[in-house]
Amino acid sequence: MQTSNKLYKFKEELPLTSGQTLDGFELMVECYGNLNQEKNNAILLNHAFSGSHHAAGEHNGTLGWWDDFVGPNKILDTNKFFIVSANNIGSCFGSSGPISLDKNGKRYNADFPEISVKDWVQAQKLLADKLKIQTWKLVVGGSLGGMQSLQWAIDFPDMVEKVAIIAAAATVDSQNIALNEVEREVIRKDSYFYNGNYYEHGKVPTKGLKAARMLGHITYLSAQNMEQRFGRKLQDQQTKLDDTINFEVENYLQYQGGKFADVFDANSYILLTKVMDGFDPSAEYDNNLVKTFKNISAEMLIISFASDWMFPPARGKEMLKAAIKANKKCSFVEFEGAYGHDSFLYAEDNYPDTISTFLEGKL
Amino acid sequence: MILEALIQNWVPQYAKVIDLGCGDGTLLESLHQLKSINPYGVEIDQKKILSCLSKNIPVIQADIDESIRDFEGLDFDIAILASSIQCLRHPDKALSNILSIAKKCIVTVPNFAHWQCRLQLSQGKMPVTKDLPAPWYATDNIHLCTIKDFEMLCIKLGLQIDQKKYLGTASSETFLSTRFPNLFASLGVYLIGSK
Repeated sequence: MQTSNKLYKFKEELPLTSGQTLDGFELMVECYGNLNQEKNNAILLNHAFSGSHHAAGEHNGTLGWWDDFVGPNKILDTNKFFIVSANNIGSCFGSSGPISLDKNGKRYNADFPEISVKDWVQAQKLLADKLKIQTWKLVVGGSLGGMQSLQWAIDFPDMVEKVAIIAAAATVDSQNIALNEVEREVIRKDSYFYNGNYYEHGKVPTKGLKAARMLGHITYLSAQNMEQRFGRKLQDQQTKLDDTINFEVENYLQYQGGKFADVFDANSYILLTKVMDGFDPSAEYDNNLVKTFKNISAEMLIISFASDWMFPPARGKEMLKAAIKANKKCSFVEFEGAYGHDSFLYAEDNYPDTISTFLEGKL
Repeated sequence: MILEALIQNWVPQYAKVIDLGCGDGTLLESLHQLKSINPYGVEIDQKKILSCLSKNIPVIQADIDESIRDFEGLDFDIAILASSIQCLRHPDKALSNILSIAKKCIVTVPNFAHWQCRLQLSQGKMPVTKDLPAPWYATDNIHLCTIKDFEMLCIKLGLQIDQKKYLGTASSETFLSTRFPNLFASLGVYLIGSK
């Protein structure tokens, strides 16, 4: 499947939860399948922290991040459903973010306003209006995208029929915030960072961003997964990226980190980790998750992976219990997951069938 | 079906019901249709979980032995433990715990003292009956008991039996199954609560 993207421009002001406003914004969007006449076959797919709108099919030689799941006769079947996938504000893949220009033609850099998951949902609501979509058959996402899906169910209960929250939690915990802060600090301490105004100096803090990603990457894998994949295998002399490298796992992280740093923006990285840290839908409801879930009318599916140490099953169950207490229809399914937190990306076990059965109500 | 009809009578309209070991969700589905209950199934088998999802019955993947207390404080009216008490590692603790998560509990108990069991044992064989259908090597049952044993456990745990039905092998009450349950009831069905 070849896919193409489209940039949607919004002239209206977007009031943000921080109290600031975005004076117009843009969303880079990919859609798959066709919206039917009744406009009741739409699915909203939310990407994770460093993901993008490119969720499925091939675009410029790259497969989308959920291509296993989205396409003709796949789990989210594009013969039946119209799937919308948008790059979030603050990211760096075409939607408004730190690398965009403000209305005076000046690059935002570090001055891009503080963003929240709630703001993303508001922006996507305007996108839905533009696409003439009044209800989502399903809102689904993994990790930060799962949190965004939950926020949708809370903020626009009448628009969400079903919500699937995968490898996510109702908030990030102290350890997550701590790790994110180390990643941010590593970027800030790159001598090319210039308080976020690196483009004005003709430099990019690639080294800091790379190191930050290397740390982040470890948190997306599980210890067991790393042991199986790399163990203590030594890196082949010919292919090692640096003389200091001894083990395969070092080379792998260096390679992945470098590849990421070449395409991602450092200010976006800092901003998006802050979005993740700040996520707390219950803040508006006396910090009471049960009260927060009272509004939800969507049927909920929570999926956790036992090997995920970022958002382990206990965090999924925390949402489950609040949903049951609030008398919501909520299912919870747990998989071992071979890839730690990243398991949500791979169509393995009964995981894909669980999503399709939840979506379509049949086996 | 008779068993389901019986359980339906004990479940009030709109009740919040948790079915521990809900299987493919059939019982919750019929309770939902007849009594508009708010259903939650607990199941460990992922194939059965998919069956529940296909019926649009909310289902929670969990091992009953380890997770009953996870459901504390969630205001269930009724917990159902149908044909699974004899599979639990600690049936006594499980019963007490279930009554800390739900006001009432419906339990079914296959009677190991039914005359067919006694007869097969007297012939030197492990019983295989309608309510105990698996051969010894393929059964999940690890804590089989009799009608008498179960009722004595309820007394010991201070649990109150609000309702009970003694069903014969045709899944209905008979003169003999009600008169001499420990010999002629194949299945005991109980509605229990805390005293």
